[in-house]
Amino acid sequence: MVSIAVTIQGAGALADALRAADMHSDCATTVVVPTIGCQAKPFTDLTDADFDAAWEQPMREAIVAFQGAHKAGHTRLIAIVPTIAMSGAPQLAHVAATAEAIRVMVKSAARQWGADGITVNCIAVAPEMFGIDTAAVGAVSIAPPALATKGTVVDDLVPLIRLASSVDAHHLTGATLTADGGIWMAP
Amino acid sequence: MTNFSSANSGRLAGRTAIVTGAGQGVGEGIARRLAAEGANVVIAARRAVTGEPVAESIQSLGGSAICVETDITNRESVAACVAATVQRFGGLHIMVHNAFRGGLPHKLEEADLDRHWNHMSQTGVWAVLHTGQAAWPHLRDAGRHGRFIIVTSPSGVEGSANIPLYSPVKAAERAIAKSLAREWGPSGVTVNCVAPVAASPALLTAFERSPALQAALEARTPLGRVGDPEADIGSVALFFASDDSAYVTGQTIVCDGGSFLGL
Repeated sequence: MVSIAVTIQGAGALADALRAADMHSDCATTVVVPTIGCQAKPFTDLTDADFDAAWEQPMREAIVAFQGAHKAGHTRLIAIVPTIAMSGAPQLAHVAATAEAIRVMVKSAARQWGADGITVNCIAVAPEMFGIDTAAVGAVSIAPPALATKGTVVDDLVPLIRLASSVDAHHLTGATLTADGGIWMAP
Repeated sequence: MTNFSSANSGRLAGRTAIVTGAGQGVGEGIARRLAAEGANVVIAARRAVTGEPVAESIQSLGGSAICVETDITNRESVAACVAATVQRFGGLHIMVHNAFRGGLPHKLEEADLDRHWNHMSQTGVWAVLHTGQAAWPHLRDAGRHGRFIIVTSPSGVEGSANIPLYSPVKAAERAIAKSLAREWGPSGVTVNCVAPVAASPALLTAFERSPALQAALEARTPLGRVGDPEADIGSVALFFASDDSAYVTGQTIVCDGGSFLGL
């Protein structure tokens, strides 16, 4: 069986932790870890510079990373986002916007590239994995994690990347796998 | 066209709304519907040549409307529109961000950021920042009557094979709405999204070019037709603008005749 090193696109602690995990797959895979900001700020106080850093630049980087994966001929593309993509969060509108945009860009890419045998999926993790302190800005969820933990990169995120990057996941595309220990349970 | 008769109950009497992109299409439909319910409506249009006729038409039917030429991609222009609104009508209760530019079909792998992304990012997400920030002090003052309504799209939920970069822009607007619902809720201000499929000029032009597109769209729509900007979409916006939705915030109503059922 072939074993191809998984490409990690992105900067920051989470991307570095995934690189350190040294993952391999039987499919050529790119994992996009967007540069999601973590600086909480009321919406009304956001400057154009704040919004450029939190929205415009990370989105441009993510689009280029998706295109790069396609150009490289990878057949598995996986994006990692925090669950505030789906839930929203006070004082983090600029961050949630980028996270949700990338989550839905996954669906667009899945629809457009599916005929080429490329699968595109998203894994949504607890915001803390991106360094976002949800407790500081108010509740993201109305309940604690059902599994009593918000997860770790090695034990909880890496296995899902292995799943989504494998041959076994050939019929899984456009999906969001939520791995936050059971906080966000919708739909 | 909704007439300004006693059939309308004046649910927005004494309130003032700005509708961006109200010179045509969905924005015009929303503006007409809100005006028919008694709101003072500001037609915030990029070009007065499209906005003025809408304002004049509303006035001729007995409504209250003015046109303010507004570039939603420019923070100062949006602020000036809000200032003109408050000066003319004494306040602002409802901000509807509808204007949008872009949406050219493309292949994601070949998408050019300047050609396929910039307009959509600027008129979609950046304009939500500009309109929301400019409106906020007045929406806060309006308290439980304060409304921020964003016109998004079903594509912002389900993705798009034809215009893949359109979907993330519309998705981002929904995420901002959810976040602002949490952030502004304590002030009584609600933030919601309308996701229509409607007979906008752009869609009607596409239908002219491709009758098959119209047939396909109507075939997959349980209600069998494309929405009317005023009667179908304007009425949903009216719900969000009115007191009827005072306990609804952070939500998206997809009004597309039942085509998308995934929420």
